[in-house]
Amino acid sequence: MRQLFSLLLLSLLSFVCSASSDYHEQLVLRPLPLSALLASFDFRSNITLSAFETHNFRFFPRSLGQILQYANTRELHLRFSLGRWDAESWGARPWDGAREGGTGVELWAWLEAETDDEADHKWLTLTNALSGLFCASLNFIDGTRTTRPVMSFQPEGDHPNSTENMHLLYGVLPHEVVCTENLTPFLKLLPCKGKVGIATLLDGHKLFDASWQSMAIDVRPICPDDGECVLQIELTIDMVLDIERSKRPRDNPIPRPLPSHELMCDTSKPYHADDTCFPADYSANQDWTLSQVFGRNMKGICPLTDPAVPPVCLQVPHSRRVFVSSGVVEKKNADGTSRCFEISPKADFEMIFPRPEKTDGEEGNAAQAEIALADVVKPETPLLYAERSFTGHGQERGGVQTILRNPSPDTEVEFIYMESLPWFMRIYTHTIEAHVGGESKSNGSLIEEIYYRPALDRARGTQLEMRMRIPPAATVFLTYDFEKSILRYTEYPPDANRGFDVAAAVITILNRGEERKAAYTLRTTSLLCSLPTPDFSMPYNVIIFTSTAIALAFGGMFNILVRRFVAADEGPEAGLGKKLSAKLSKVLERFRKKKTAVEEQK
Amino acid sequence: MPRLLAGALRLRRDPRILKLPPYLSLLCIFVGVVWLLLLPLNDYSRRTYISENALLPGQVHTYFGGSDQNVFRAYKHEVNALVGKSNIEINDKLESIVKGLGLKVACQNFTYTSAGRVYSGENVYAILQAPRGDATEAIVLVAAWENVQQEVNRNGVALILTLARYFKRWSLWSKDIVFLVTPDSIAGPQAWVDAYHDAHDSARVDSLPLKSGALQGAIAIDYAQEGRFESVHIVYDGVNGQLPNLDLINSVVSIAGGQMGMGVALQEMWQHNDQYPDRLRTMLRGMLKQGLGLASGPHSSFIPYHVDAVTLQPFGDGWQDEMAMGRVVEGTFRSLNNLLEHLHQSFFFYLLMQRERFVSIGTYLPSAMLVAVNFTIMAIALWVKSGQPESSNNTPTPPASEGETAAPAASNPAVERDIFLPLGVVTLCQSVAVIPLYLFNHASESLLTPFFVIFALLNPLLPLILSNFLTTTYRPTTQQYQLIKSFSLLLLGMFLASLATLNFSLALLVGVLASPLTFMRPWPNSDAMRIACTVLLNTVSPTSVLVASAAYWQLDIGTVLREAAFAWHVCGMYSPVVVWCVWWPAWLAGNVIVLGRPDESKGKEKVL
Repeated sequence: MRQLFSLLLLSLLSFVCSASSDYHEQLVLRPLPLSALLASFDFRSNITLSAFETHNFRFFPRSLGQILQYANTRELHLRFSLGRWDAESWGARPWDGAREGGTGVELWAWLEAETDDEADHKWLTLTNALSGLFCASLNFIDGTRTTRPVMSFQPEGDHPNSTENMHLLYGVLPHEVVCTENLTPFLKLLPCKGKVGIATLLDGHKLFDASWQSMAIDVRPICPDDGECVLQIELTIDMVLDIERSKRPRDNPIPRPLPSHELMCDTSKPYHADDTCFPADYSANQDWTLSQVFGRNMKGICPLTDPAVPPVCLQVPHSRRVFVSSGVVEKKNADGTSRCFEISPKADFEMIFPRPEKTDGEEGNAAQAEIALADVVKPETPLLYAERSFTGHGQERGGVQTILRNPSPDTEVEFIYMESLPWFMRIYTHTIEAHVGGESKSNGSLIEEIYYRPALDRARGTQLEMRMRIPPAATVFLTYDFEKSILRYTEYPPDANRGFDVAAAVITILNRGEERKAAYTLRTTSLLCSLPTPDFSMPYNVIIFTSTAIALAFGGMFNILVRRFVAADEGPEAGLGKKLSAKLSKVLERFRKKKTAVEEQK
Repeated sequence: MPRLLAGALRLRRDPRILKLPPYLSLLCIFVGVVWLLLLPLNDYSRRTYISENALLPGQVHTYFGGSDQNVFRAYKHEVNALVGKSNIEINDKLESIVKGLGLKVACQNFTYTSAGRVYSGENVYAILQAPRGDATEAIVLVAAWENVQQEVNRNGVALILTLARYFKRWSLWSKDIVFLVTPDSIAGPQAWVDAYHDAHDSARVDSLPLKSGALQGAIAIDYAQEGRFESVHIVYDGVNGQLPNLDLINSVVSIAGGQMGMGVALQEMWQHNDQYPDRLRTMLRGMLKQGLGLASGPHSSFIPYHVDAVTLQPFGDGWQDEMAMGRVVEGTFRSLNNLLEHLHQSFFFYLLMQRERFVSIGTYLPSAMLVAVNFTIMAIALWVKSGQPESSNNTPTPPASEGETAAPAASNPAVERDIFLPLGVVTLCQSVAVIPLYLFNHASESLLTPFFVIFALLNPLLPLILSNFLTTTYRPTTQQYQLIKSFSLLLLGMFLASLATLNFSLALLVGVLASPLTFMRPWPNSDAMRIACTVLLNTVSPTSVLVASAAYWQLDIGTVLREAAFAWHVCGMYSPVVVWCVWWPAWLAGNVIVLGRPDESKGKEKVL
């Protein structure tokens, strides 16, 4: 009886908890052009600062909370990213780029510390602890990979007091390969652990087969005007799935050629025949279901989540028909391009996204492409396009070129361009130059401000931050040259000939008027810099060769150098033995003489 | 040891020692050439092997085929419809097809001028972004619209389109794949690769609007042949005799020959029985191509940028179809995709003599080095000789006019060397060499042949004039002739020895052709010898060798010069520098020596 009572109390309590909207989760699906699908998972929970300080963690993951307390971290941002966002076809980035990092792992945090040294020490603690928690090589973020950005990052949370003692540290591991081992600890941080709710769709096979994916963890304090400060943790996963690739069954993932009768052909071609098929446009108008794309069904909803927030939303025009499993209520939003689904807690959720009906007389690729575009929400044009690549060749020096394009016809873009380069790329600051495409001369007005912290060999990397302004509808080429230094023999990694990854440049577009918050963030792709690499079997050969040469040649050569050659009869007698024998013979001779003299006398 | 050294020191003063170098030089040349001929033997060459374990060639199943053949046929129709149209029209159509596949497409214009001809066109290329990659690395698949023989690469271009569609379906690519279609086989790829590495002259070649990461390898398809084929011909020579990593060739051999069961041929050896004559022929053909340093296909331009590349050319009449060729490319790309590091293991300097036999640089280099060293030996010997007083030919004992004591050192008084004139002559020869170099690289096409005829006619006269001028104006002594020869051979030996490490074949070819120069000397008393030597030298002069080889391969001399000028301007080929600025000056100096008439009286005075 008592047990039953306590159970009842517990369930009541949990109801109260969930009603207090401390946790919610949401999945937003957005079909993109070229048969891609953007899925944004968002898990957010709040905890009051007082509860956090008294170790009453509730929805906040305890493992992470303790690390944050131990390292005096006030705000934390951790990113695991893979692939690249195709801005040309997919448009603006989700969350305005605020929830993504460059390829690999990125970490930045505001630590509270009295001095820089103390901050460094705490940073070391933090990276090491996070490294263990997320099974990532975050402990390799050492002094050479850590920078202290001055202009680029601004705290997202509210820090009413203690702004003076806050230190921003930024570290990046471009070569870290994000994989399932990082996803598992991520899911463990969720209150429902991926057992129920939208997190059940997170299958490692599908997530890491995505064309682009980014896992983000953001911890920030938020102080509403009317209430107590809360610490908010937001875990987001964004991924762009290639629908055609994702639809392949898991037991047969090999893209074998289709049987010829299943091939979609353009029958308008004059040569079209049974054995000749001009393929119809690339997978236009894909039909898909949720379980096909994610490899499994969505199992109910997490009981802890705030019921006011719909768990699944879909961003397609209202004209597009979507079928959902029974018991799910579809609510179309007023904006005309999005709808959300209310799901009953126990039922599995399934969604079928059928191929749109063809209107009459539509043959040919162009018409189909138009329909395909009409069926997705038109992607928003990003504020800036950025593309970075190496110039030059050879192993001595090189250059970096970043092409920045402002697509807007009437507004200029002001942003901060930040590079954190490894120390072995020694940049020539006098070669930093920006010129508008079409003009050959560099334009001094594009770069407004430069913050440059030079590298120290083996101690810290280069930090370069530039505040730039790009006029409307202009393409700017930002270039600089660098020299590659030669590493020590032991400093090369085992795969030295692969090259060295250079972290993505971070571009923070400033909000006009409001100074603190970034309007849009984007990152370039990372680069692979090949350094002069020795032939690692060479030292071995050299040692053998030189030893032999010295053994054979040096002895003889030394002998010749230190000796003087004279004819045997010319020079003085030399050598101890000879001297001795000479003396001996002299003595003997004298003796013999005496003897003969004696004999003569006789 | 000391006794040995003492013996050597005594030997140094022996007059017989100075008679040795010509024989030593001859021996070096002989050994060098015989060394080369020994290489194809089993004992001196090695079997090839895959050094980079990550490549795993032929270890994957290839799935290209089935209904992809229907697609290929359709693309073939599209390509056939484009034959004969302009470059821009072709590119527009290709662009629309590739865009339909969901790839990013861009174009690049280029205009080269060489020998008064304009080579221009537009490259079109598409980038298949690695599904999960981050644009750090890329591999390239090239098909030139026209191959080196000016045939339309119908199957190659259709195959590249089909493969682009097929590769798009795979999610396993770790590197971006660039599909490049160029209007021709040499200038187009060169323009593209130059621009990719920002090494281009922006006045002639456009920058690339779209780029990917560091290029890790490239495969070119040259499939102009219609119908089924039997074997694949691997073309691997780069510009200036640079070669791709041997691992790449081995991978293709192992995939095409081992996995697909096709024949593999090298160096246009359509039949190869793996016996000594065939091996030697393959090797010599390879050396000749390497020595000429011309671009041999679309892959050639990639190699100077340390991007390993080969061209695959199906040939013969067999039962392999286009899909089999596609599977070879697929298998090779899967292997390249496996690479963790840039190809660096295996060999970059090798001579292939059969698809599975090679010699590496350590084995073949002594051959060219010995030939180069023969010049140096002779140069040193002449330098020593020029420091000793001239002795009349008949009496080896020095005239004991001074009546000094018979100490051996006293019989060899050092003679002052008069080096101003020899240095001047050698410098003159070297600097005159700039004229043919400039002339043949900058004259317009119609003038190339007349210029060459005039030059070839002047060439035998030039030494005569120079020698006549020398004898009448300066009356050089025997010692000065010796010094001219010494300096000239010293330069030749030095240039060839260092060239041997860069382009072995060119160094060896020039070395062997210039080897008579070692034995040239003035013949003041024998007109017959002088004429014989002059005739010999003129038969191995750069111009006559050029004429003879053009006649042998039935080429027009104007075409040869035009191609050379094109390669010089577009690909940066340096063979003309070696011919005109290394070989020709040495030849000129050698001929001047042969025609020389040393002034004996002047020499005698000096000694006294």
